[in-house]
This record gives sequence, C-alpha cells and structure tokens, in this order.
Amino acid sequence: MNTFSGHISDIQVNESLSMVSVRINEQVELKTIVVETPETASYLKIENAVEVLFKETEVIISTEDTLSISIQNKIKATIKEVKKGVLLSKLLLNSEIGEMIAILATEVLDELMLAENQEVTAMIKVNEIMISR
Amino acid sequence: MIEAHIHKTLSTANGKMLLDIQLNIKKGQFVTLYGPSGAGKTSTLRILAGLLSADKGQIVVDDKVWLDSKKKINFSPQQRKIGYVFQDYALFPNMTVRRNLEFALEKGQDRSIIQELITIVELEELQDRKPETLSGGQQQRVALARALVRKPEVLLLDEPLSALDIKMRAKLQDYILKVHRQYGLTTILVSHDVGEIIKMSDEIYCLEAGKISKQGNPSAIFTNDRLSGKFQFTGEVIAIEQEEVVYIVTVLIGNNVVKIIAQESEITDLGIGDKVIVASKAFNPILLKIEK
Repeated sequence: MNTFSGHISDIQVNESLSMVSVRINEQVELKTIVVETPETASYLKIENAVEVLFKETEVIISTEDTLSISIQNKIKATIKEVKKGVLLSKLLLNSEIGEMIAILATEVLDELMLAENQEVTAMIKVNEIMISR
Repeated sequence: MIEAHIHKTLSTANGKMLLDIQLNIKKGQFVTLYGPSGAGKTSTLRILAGLLSADKGQIVVDDKVWLDSKKKINFSPQQRKIGYVFQDYALFPNMTVRRNLEFALEKGQDRSIIQELITIVELEELQDRKPETLSGGQQQRVALARALVRKPEVLLLDEPLSALDIKMRAKLQDYILKVHRQYGLTTILVSHDVGEIIKMSDEIYCLEAGKISKQGNPSAIFTNDRLSGKFQFTGEVIAIEQEEVVYIVTVLIGNNVVKIIAQESEITDLGIGDKVIVASKAFNPILLKIEK
C-alpha cells in the first residue's frame, strides 16, 4: 500500500459522494472520490490531517508528462530501482511526494524500456485512492 | 428500556471470574452480546431471565424492577416478560407443533395468539407434526414461536442458529427480525457470526472475561470506519505466499476464501490466523446476478 500524509484542501459534495482534494505538499494535491460526505464521515473537514492510500498495482506509469488522459492525479517521479519478475515487475520510485511503489507487467516494462534514473509520471485515478484518518 | 447492572462471581475452567456488566438497552432495540467462550454471555442472559441469580445488582425493564438485590426484589422467571430460545430446541417430543405452542399458554390467556404465531412463522403445514419429523431449522422456528406465546417484552436468543446450515440460518434470521419488529420486542442475541450480527443488530456489546470491552454500532466495531473504503470485510489470514514481486494473501471471510495481492510492508506483521480488515473502494467490485 502506498501511503502519504496530507491535509484536506477541498471537498465537493453531491448527494452521497464527495470529491476530496488532499494537499500532500506545496506542489502536489491528490484527488479522490469517496462514498462519504462530511455528514457521514467526521474526518471530511477542510484542513484535517488524513492519509491517502492506494495500491501499488493501481499506479500507472508514463514516460511522457503532457498526456491528455482521463487521470487526474499525476506525480513526477524518478525510477530508483527496478525489480524484474517474469510477469510482474516492481518499480521503486522517488516521487515529488516521497517514495512510491508501482507494480506493472514486465512486458510493459520492456516495451517502455523503463530503467533506473529515468524520469516518469506516476498516475492514479480518483476512484483508486482511499482516505484514512 | 432495559437497565441492568449485574455482579456475579462465576466459576470457569480457568478459575473464578467476576461478571460485571452494565447494559442500557432502549425499547425495541436489537442488541448482540459478542465475545469468546466463557466471557459471560450466556450467564448474562440467564441472569436477565431469572434462571441464574446474581450476587448483587439491579434489573429494571420499562420502569418495572425485576431485580434489586438491595431491596430484596427478585422476580421469578415466570414473572419476567421474557422469551428464551436456546441452541437446542427443547421441544416436547410427544406433542405436535401446535400442542407445543399451546403448552406455553398462561392460564386464561387468549388462545388466538397460537394461530397468529403459526401464521407469522409459517408453521401451518407443520402444525400437526411431531418435532422429530422436522428439520433443525423447522424445529427452531417452533421454538421461536413458542418463546413468543406469552407475548414477552424481551426476547433472549442464545446462539439459536449456530447448529443450522447457512441457508437455513439466513431464513431464520429473517423470521427473527420479522417477529422482533412485529411485536416491538427488545431482543438480546448471543452470536459469534459477524455477518449475522451486522445484519441483525442495532448495537453490540463485546464481552471479555466478564466485562464489556467495547460497545457500539456493529458495522463500526467490525469494520474500520476510519477508512473511506466501502468494500470492507473482516477475515482470517489462512496463507501468505510470495510470488514474483508481490505476496498473495489468502483470507477466509465468512465461508468464502478470497485472495489479496499485497506488498512486503503489508505482510511484515501478518501471520496465519491473524484477523484482518480487507478493504477496497466501492468503485472496484463488479456485480453479477446469479441466475435462479
């Protein structure tokens, strides 16, 4: 599980869903959609300290940073280490919000020729991020 | 409303244990007592029913004092408006289903309740049969109906479904909820089945070694309401295997075995037999209708 600490900077509510922005640091804000509202979850408060969690397998890696793509969370990172398996491989990333792990298919690793010290963009869809207080 | 404060020294397999329980149960609530064997759950029910005497304490139900050790008030089980269902059905084997119910009538009580209960728990077809010809689930339905003959205010259920298979259990749960609502009962259930507890109860009291260790809303107790993931289950780790760059953790959730891909950081403190919360977002699972 990739875990980062931050503070809630914005909450947009519609019926029982909320789009929550969590400021991780000065550069990066992560967005997540949750089936909670400030009424059902006491931790949904502006400036509240929370943790954001997402699975390593949900991190998408791109070698370009100006993609027009339907993923809102984009984080700049450098590949620190590559652990290559037969079908799956693990990337240890040094990102602008801290260390992050991405699991991806080894075929893709080869296709994109991902290697240590390469600069990439790590992306996570809003519906893949969980909040924990 | 049940307000009870019970003290009782119990002799257990591990020596003496002090049962010290305080309950505040609102009228019409469905409450579960949960905890390991020997924590005092059954003793609590038996003291409420008057089948076991407390060393000291008070039990007040709807402003009526059932027990007050200081004032030497102690209602007999018959004086307490209680229905009690145990794990074994304890039906009279020589009587038909209908006779078993009729036998529970009080002197001079209106007999129409018998037909009403037979209708509610759907015993019409079975009413002339003897208990031994019925399945476990059917016998437990009769036991449930019998516990309601005297129109109790409080229904005590001591693991009534633990001997039944899953399908029968789900059906009986529905009957219990139906009578609980229809008769405005205050119900106290002893159960170990987390799914059953979340389905049925408004409030849960967790008992450990004679004391209440936790109390609250069942889904908040069994799931992690500090986490926004809506797809949450509690389960038990049954296997951890490393494969390539990930770990595959096998978890038993109820009667289902699920597998979860995990990273080293998630499994460092994890061992076989550990209880875990399995969480995902409500956005990820898909639904497939099972054809009848």
